[in-house]
Amino acid sequence: MKKALRYSRLLFLMVKLAISEEMEYRSNFFANVLSTVSGLFVSLLTLQVFFNQTQAIGGWSFEQVLVLLGIFNALDGVVKMVLRPNIGRIVQHIRKGTLDLILTKPVDSQFYVSFRHILFWPITDVLMGLGLVVYGVLQMGIAITVTNLLWFALLFVAALVTLYGIWMLLMTMSFWFVKVENLTFLFTSLFETARFPVQVYRGILRALLTYVFPVAVLTTFPAAALVGKLNGTDALISVSIAVLMVVVARQFWKMALRNYTSASS
Amino acid sequence: MTNGIVVEHLSKHFKVHEREAGLRGALHSLLKRSFHTVRAVDDISFTIEPGEIVGFLGPNGAGKTTTMKMLSGLLHPSGGRVNVGGFVPFQQKEAFKKRITLVMGQKSQLIWDIPASETFLINQAIYEIPDAQFRETMGELTQLLELEPLLKKPVRNLSLGERMKCELAASLLHRPDIIFLDEPTIGLDVNMQETVRRFIKEYNERFNATILLTSHYMADVTALCKRVIIINHGHIPFDGDLNQLVNTHAPFKVAKLVFARPVDRHDLDKYGEVLQYEYPQASIQIPRAAVSEQASRMLAELPVQDFTIEDPPMEDVIGMAFAAEEGA
Repeated sequence: MKKALRYSRLLFLMVKLAISEEMEYRSNFFANVLSTVSGLFVSLLTLQVFFNQTQAIGGWSFEQVLVLLGIFNALDGVVKMVLRPNIGRIVQHIRKGTLDLILTKPVDSQFYVSFRHILFWPITDVLMGLGLVVYGVLQMGIAITVTNLLWFALLFVAALVTLYGIWMLLMTMSFWFVKVENLTFLFTSLFETARFPVQVYRGILRALLTYVFPVAVLTTFPAAALVGKLNGTDALISVSIAVLMVVVARQFWKMALRNYTSASS
Repeated sequence: MTNGIVVEHLSKHFKVHEREAGLRGALHSLLKRSFHTVRAVDDISFTIEPGEIVGFLGPNGAGKTTTMKMLSGLLHPSGGRVNVGGFVPFQQKEAFKKRITLVMGQKSQLIWDIPASETFLINQAIYEIPDAQFRETMGELTQLLELEPLLKKPVRNLSLGERMKCELAASLLHRPDIIFLDEPTIGLDVNMQETVRRFIKEYNERFNATILLTSHYMADVTALCKRVIIINHGHIPFDGDLNQLVNTHAPFKVAKLVFARPVDRHDLDKYGEVLQYEYPQASIQIPRAAVSEQASRMLAELPVQDFTIEDPPMEDVIGMAFAAEEGA
């Protein structure tokens, strides 16, 4: 408990410093808004093209896909704020040996490499993503119940946790592979598939995207929760995968460290 | 509380994967991996008293960094015992980590795009330094290292030396009493090296800190360490007084001259052993005891335009110390 308090305080400080830091670079704010807006514009255009041909993809209407796309953008913002500037650097920490400096600090090394340097301006992606979610819901003209909202909140957290777990797992591989740029590329391309509901993919691909590389957990299930399409199984899958991911990522990190300090053999 | 450093029969062996050259070798190693053992550190023992500054010297790949990593808890020893400040380093206890620091000249904990003061605040939180103590230490470090103008600048806009100052400050904020310095002056200009050296000495005196220092610069070692430990091929051929090491193995200095006009090479022989002469430059090795006498003679008798006296490079001294060891 004391530990949890200490680490939440540390995290709070890191966010605070990130904000005060980036207030100095206001041009970054505009650059970010610009890239977010143009990114959104392009994906909306693509959606329009699809929905000119059909009323629904994978059983999802245009407005429902908008909600999903909003969630995708919000998650992408989190990747830019936290995951890329931190976990993406594990490779460098290993290559340049700065990991040694981290390991001599009285702090959990996984926590440190995960959250040390947060970028603040990609918050625009998160906000606009959530804005798009709200817009999609309003367009649908349905009443959102408190239950739906709570399920959405839970599954969105599960999505964040899963996303973190996947990144952490992939980047921890850099202890063994020198070229992790390929892994980042792999992640990005797989993450892109989360722009669409998992139902548009068929057969084995859908199973892969649900269980192996759980893209469905990232966007499909939280969106389904909000628009009232969620079933109990999906919710259970979501939460289980999220828990499994952090646990596996944690164990993998510890194993990598044991190997790094050559205490394993 | 201060127990210094005790190392007994410490070893670190790495298993290295061997591969023969060529396609055949590659295929072979795919089927049957063969390993051989590298004894990076092989049964070394030494003790460092609290408050002592010891120079830890040796050629590249001798086992210096491996030893430092075992002392700071980064590497698990293959054999032997280590005790640092009353702790077994590899247990990596937080109480242990709060008492030590590891500074590496070529590795930085600072973040490129933002000012160093951000790292100071993060470290304050990580090391749980109370506000009052933080302000006091920060004040001292700012004054000792002249950090004031550097604090607000992004790290990328600092010079190498300024960065090192910030690095030292970040590493010493929690007032560790056991310090591992791995090449702290590498790449710095002479003035900055001097500043860093003065700071290390000052810190040592003020906090009675135990310091283990590696450096390739003779000046660092002579200015800071009375005692040196030499390591080579994982062994310790010398552990003792620096003066004794230098007098035994390198009892001379090197005079470097630049002449205004050519002189006969034979005329130089009487001052010492001519290492090299190529007009206009010459270097002459002179016994330590005769340095001042020979120097004034040379200045009086030769057409000297420029003149310096240098210590033999540390690498040479170590090389000689250990050539002697192997010969013995």
